[in-house]
Order: sequence, then C-alpha cells, then structure tokens
Amino acid sequence: MTNRLNRVKSVARKVGGIRRLILILMAVSLGTTALLDFFVVEKIFGPLVYLYIALSTIVGLYVIYPLYAGRRLTKYYWVRVKRNRLAVWGLGFILFLILLALIGPFFTADPTAVSFEEKNIPPLGFTIEESVYEPETEQFIAKTITATGEHPLGTDNKGRDLLAMIVSGAGVSLQVGLLATGIALTIGTLIGVMSAYLGGKMDNILMRLTDVMMAFPFFLLLVFIVFIFGPNLAFIVLVIGLTGWTGAARLIRSQTLSLRTREFVMASKALGASDSRIILAHLVPNVISLIIVMATLSIPGVILAEAALSFIGLGDPNVTSWGMVLRAGQQSLDTTWWVAVVPGVMLFLTVLAFNFVGDGLRDAFDPRSAL
Amino acid sequence: MEKPILRIRNLKTYFFTRRGTVRAVDGVDFDLLKGECLCLVGESGCGKTVTALSILGLIDSPPGRVVDGEIYYDNVNLLKCSPEQMRRLRGKEIAMVFQDAQSALNPVFTIGDQIAEQVKLHLGVGGGEARQRAVDLLGEVGIPSPEKEVDYYPHQLSGGMKQRAMIAMSLSCDPQVLIADEPTTAVDVTIKAQILDVFQRLRETRQMSLLFITHELGVVSEIGDRMVVMYAGRLAEAAAVTELLGDPKHPYTAGLIKCVPDITKTRDRLESIPGTVPSLIDPPRGCLFHPRCDQAMAICSQEKPPLTMVGKGHTVFCHLYNGIKGNGEQ
Repeated sequence: MTNRLNRVKSVARKVGGIRRLILILMAVSLGTTALLDFFVVEKIFGPLVYLYIALSTIVGLYVIYPLYAGRRLTKYYWVRVKRNRLAVWGLGFILFLILLALIGPFFTADPTAVSFEEKNIPPLGFTIEESVYEPETEQFIAKTITATGEHPLGTDNKGRDLLAMIVSGAGVSLQVGLLATGIALTIGTLIGVMSAYLGGKMDNILMRLTDVMMAFPFFLLLVFIVFIFGPNLAFIVLVIGLTGWTGAARLIRSQTLSLRTREFVMASKALGASDSRIILAHLVPNVISLIIVMATLSIPGVILAEAALSFIGLGDPNVTSWGMVLRAGQQSLDTTWWVAVVPGVMLFLTVLAFNFVGDGLRDAFDPRSAL
Repeated sequence: MEKPILRIRNLKTYFFTRRGTVRAVDGVDFDLLKGECLCLVGESGCGKTVTALSILGLIDSPPGRVVDGEIYYDNVNLLKCSPEQMRRLRGKEIAMVFQDAQSALNPVFTIGDQIAEQVKLHLGVGGGEARQRAVDLLGEVGIPSPEKEVDYYPHQLSGGMKQRAMIAMSLSCDPQVLIADEPTTAVDVTIKAQILDVFQRLRETRQMSLLFITHELGVVSEIGDRMVVMYAGRLAEAAAVTELLGDPKHPYTAGLIKCVPDITKTRDRLESIPGTVPSLIDPPRGCLFHPRCDQAMAICSQEKPPLTMVGKGHTVFCHLYNGIKGNGEQ
C-alpha cells in the first residue's frame, strides 16, 4: 500500500506536483469519455456534466484546498465576514437556494406537467375571481378559485406548478451562474497573471486581445450563437464564460503587476522555480482573495443575463428557468400576477444575496478596511 | 581552499534604456575560491547586485543583458547554459539570500511550506520528509523552536527570524555557492551579529563558498576572507580583508574606510567622499573615480587605469601605482 502511494508520489513529482497530476488525470479522463460520448455511445452525459466535473476539480484544488490548508487564515477571514450581518444573511440565502436546487426536485411535481383543470390557482392565502365560459348556458360566469395545499405557490395558465418551476429555476440559475463564472474567472486569472508576469510583448498581445473581447457586443453574440446552434443551456453557459473574462483579466493583471516586482518572485526564481510554478504556486494564491470576491460579484450578472435571454424567448426550452416563468407570467400580470412576481422576487433576492456576500468578502479580505 | 569554484571574467552587464545604455557592470573579474567568503563592497548603485544577478542569470531582459564576459562555475560557462539548465542550477548549486526577507518571502504560505517546496522541487522527496528537512534547516540557522515556527506565516516572525528563514530556504538544497545580497542591511545591530554568526557557522559546517555583498566595512572585517571593492560598475581594488582594510591603496577604498564613523570620537561632522557616483549612462573618460579623487593626475581623466599588483593577491586599478611594482601593463 505504502509502496503504491510512493509510486503515485514519484509520478506526481515528475509532472510538477500532486495538483498538476490530478488536473492532467482529469483532463485525460474527461477527454476520453467526452470522445466516447459524442462518437461511440449516444450522449450519456450532457456537456454541462463535463463542465461541472472540470470546474469543481479546479475550484477544489485551487480554492477549497488552500482554504483548508490555511485553516487559521480561513478562520480569521470567517470571523471578519461574520461581522457583516448582510453578508451572513446573503450566504444563508445562497445555501438555502443550493439546498432547494439539490433536494427540491425530489419533493415537487414535474415542472413541465401541464394540467388545464388546475390552471391559474393562486398561491396559499389568496383567492381570485375569474370569469369562466359555461358552455351549457353560453355565458361567462364569475368563479372563485381558491388556493390548494397541493400547489402552495399556485399554478400558471397551463396548470404547471409554480413551486416546481421555481425549484427547477433555482437549479438552472445556480448552474449558469457558477459554471459561467468559473470558466470566465479561470480564463481571466490565467490571462491576467500571465500578462503581468511575462510582460513585454506577451503582455501587449494578451491585453489587446482583452480589449478586442471587451469591445465585442457579447449579448448579440449570445443571440447569434443561440440562433445558429439552437437554444442549449450548455452553449449559453460556454458563451457567457468564454466572453465574460475580460474585466477579471484586467483587474488581476493590475494586482499582479505590483506583486511581480516583489522580491519573493525574484527569490523563488533565484532558488530555481520555473515560470509556470511561479505563476501557479506563487502569484495565483496571492490574488485568490480578489478572485473569490470577483466571482461572487459576477455571478448575479451572469444569472441576470441568462434570465434576460430566457425572457426574450432565447433560453433553452428544455429547462424551466426563472426568466422563462417570468416571461410566461408577464402576459397576464393583471390577473395571475404571482406567476411573474414569484420568480421576479427570487431573482431579486438571489442577485442581492450574491452582491451582499461579495461585498462582505471584499471587506473581509481587505486589510485596510476597519472591521 | 585554493581552487576557484566561481570564476568571473570581464563581465559586462548593460541596461538598454530609453535614455541610453547604462553600463551597470563594465568589465569585472574576480574568483570565488572553494570554502572562502568573498565580500563584494561598494556604495549603492555600483553594480554589486547586478553582478550577483548576472551570475544567476536573473537579469531582467529587456532592458538588461549580459553583453560580454564569462562566468565559470566548476568549468561550466553559465552564460552559455540554456534557461532550463540555469533553472536546475539555481538553488541547488548556487543559491541567493536577499536583502529584505520581509518581501522575499511569499506572504500567503507558511515558511515551512516555502522551504519544503524548494526541497521537493530539487531533491524530489515526499511531503513528510521535506517538512522534516525544513524543521532541521530552521534549527540549523538558529530558530529556537523550529517544530513550532515551521507553521508560521512570514508576518508572524520578527525581522531577524524572517532573515533566518530566508537563509534556511536558500540552504535547502545544499548549494555549493551562497550569494548573500546585503542580508544584514534590513536588520538591527544585535540581530546583525547573530545573522553573521549563522553565516560563519554555516561556512564551517558546510564548507560552502560565500559571496557576501555589503556596503558595511564592519561586516566585511567580521566575516570576510578576501574583499573586492567596486566603483561605478568597475573594480577598484581586491585583496585579503586584513591587508585591504589596514593598507588601502586605492583612494576610493581609503575614502570608504575613513567614512566609517568611530563611536569613540565625538565629531560634529561625519567624513564623506565629496561628489556623487558618476552617471553610468555617460561616464567620465579615464578612471571613473577621478572627478571625486583628491589625488587625481592629468592621466586619470585620459586613460583607464590598468591592473597593478601591489602585493601578494592585492590588485588595484589606479594610475598612482603605475609601474611601481612592475607587473602593470603600462
């Protein structure tokens, strides 16, 4: 057993550390399953699953593990975050949302199940009057629809359960927010740090590339991609992620520029560290607090972008997202107002929660802020 | 003891800036013998650090470049090595201790992690072993309870402790040559003595060669075997420490020694050498020191002073000694 462990260790050393070994193994295994998936067997996993695995590995190796390894520092930051009441509430709401998205689907009905007998039921505690056409008397008569325990948040005009749709939407929003932000920040961090560290010509090339990307109207690109490839959530996530890294790259570059001239970079070079090692093992950990703050602050933007896309009817029709429910509800805002209001409030609270957490983290990580 | 481990010949490192070429190091020769401590002395901006960085191949390029010369480490010309070869050499064969340990340690890792990283990188041992080695090294440089302090972050240590940690880190792979760039400048006097003790002890136990860069003559007399005095990117004088401090030949060296304040005398003014270091972009002709030299002659502003042997192992670059003891090129 120890023998085998030693062999793993020696392989890891050859490729430059356990972390890189895990990354390489992950890339290889994901690559081969993806190839099998697309060419041999027909679609076992959706492309989102690959993104999930890849990103959670990267986040685990470069965010969770360092936080665990530096427990004392993590505890110190947690004490500072805790002093910001709003951030704690925000964090609580995000955790609630994650639980909702993970466990909710087991307890709620199918969000796409249509039932016209149960349409337009108001949420618990409300009743509405509706004029219903009676075929026998050929007249419209007023009918009171009362809330039922079966549909605590009511139903829409096709009788779909609103609670189920909200639960499904929570999952979609979180997936889009986390995955797209993860992709964007991974790219942004690498480009920012490399640009600042390598300097000179490389810096120029990477930063001009960033400028070009920034000048690109990304929402149009999104609409364009949806038009060409069809409304697929994975494409939407990829496009948001692949275009959204510019701000992060610039900010991280500016932070790294001041780090690069610090003597510890020269010192680790003088002791034989390679460029990739300095970038990954010395510079990235020094900007990790900035990355975490930026991630929390950019997630709401991404969630809103997806909601906006669904709202104008370019979302993935196979998944029920908040933007889509919002769109369904806005046509009958005067009668079945809850169909639009509930997802609207959820979006509002989610965006607010991420912003509060982001602000709290920024203050906690900033040594100059008097907390 | 007699065999040179590092031979530097006619080293020229220039920086090509927008305002002109800065001749930071302009033709420097010296040998570092096995097991000796050679002190590189001179005032700020005279090219000491650039010399050290040139040896390690760490000159930022652009704007800097080693334009000429040879640096032999055990018969390998370092200037002809590939970047990858140089990277393997750094830390393992030649290591460097920096002036400001505060900024030379990465603030987000514990000192143990940083030392262990070096060990894992160069010696290829596992995590537990590397950590044990970090503890041993911290003990070797005189950190009182290394098992505890190995888990400290740099900001939890005092200045002297950080400098020791930095030294431990540079020793992690048993280098043959240790370059110390003003390691005592950022610490106070009592700590300075302790740090010098650490270096002294390491030299005895490890038989390694030390290239000690400093501007403090007190430190030189404490630790050095031989010393090389640099001025404005060129050599002024080189000799054994006792000989050079007792009988300086070059007017610059003599001036430097006179500048050291004597604590037993109370004087209202400190000695200084009049004038400032010349611009390295547009240096004066002839001897670079002649505008500040009180013994300057007509020839000093015309010709570069040649190397003159004035004693056993005592060389000086000054026109005052032209042809005095033969051996000059004049």
